[in-house]
Amino acid sequence: MKEISTRHKEEINDLLKELVITRIEAQMPSTLRISIGSHGSFTKEQLIDHIKEGDEIGRQVVKMHISFIKAQASGAFIEALNSVDDE
Amino acid sequence: MNKGLIITLPRYDEVTEYISQFSKEILKEAHLRGIPLKELRDKGCTRKEFEKVAKGLNYGLIVLNGHGSNTAIEGHKDQILVESGVNEEILRDKITYARSCDAGAQLGHDAMKLNIEGCFIGYELPFVFYHDAERETNPLKDNTAKLFLEPSNAIPISIMKGNVAEQAHENGRKLLLKNMRKALRQKTSDSLGFAEGLWNNYIGQVLLGNPNASLYNL
Repeated sequence: MKEISTRHKEEINDLLKELVITRIEAQMPSTLRISIGSHGSFTKEQLIDHIKEGDEIGRQVVKMHISFIKAQASGAFIEALNSVDDE
Repeated sequence: MNKGLIITLPRYDEVTEYISQFSKEILKEAHLRGIPLKELRDKGCTRKEFEKVAKGLNYGLIVLNGHGSNTAIEGHKDQILVESGVNEEILRDKITYARSCDAGAQLGHDAMKLNIEGCFIGYELPFVFYHDAERETNPLKDNTAKLFLEPSNAIPISIMKGNVAEQAHENGRKLLLKNMRKALRQKTSDSLGFAEGLWNNYIGQVLLGNPNASLYNL
């Protein structure tokens, strides 16, 4: 039972990585870099490598994407956006 | 406490180059308002120098640009300026804005432990920003980076304009939301990515200590 649970977790983890990589591939032009705190600046390709590797930078990026997806799903993002006017 | 601004401006990699260059707006506001200013640039961003000016000048507003962690904020290269359990009390009863990652998660709390009048505005998550590789030689012309760095400049600028800490914190967060709307209106392939990065800074920005802290009332 424990083995199945671990396997499921790994599958979910891989699916999350795939999801985030798909988003980055679609959203980030190659001319841009993203600076992530003290980790430094990364190109799209470097970011994807870190996610595949599953290292600290990759985990940080996945967390950032999941947090944004959750905010969109819960309505928190749109509610916050609607709280300000354009000028 | 004296009315004045101490600002660190390290420049030794892309990140510190960008945040220090974008700090020109903050310096301009200080000049405009006649607020005494002490800049710690490049190799001058050391703990020894920072402690000397923070204690000696006793200015009320401190802006720290640099890499950070839960427990520390750096200056030039990997030199630590402020660290939990070492010298965090140097920020007590002052208004600190830290454009550094994660320092709002622990260092800010530690610095505010015995604080009464001051506050700490920073981030409990990594501070992120996108920038254009083709603009790296002239960061101030990078409109992508501007989306992320202008809202953070708004915090110390708002303090210098006479707003209390809570208003400055909210002004910065409102500007992040406005820039999310702006990015989404452009409807380009990168719009959602920009909104996502701005959202990270929005949820990560924290105000600790006295929400009524004012540079003109310390």
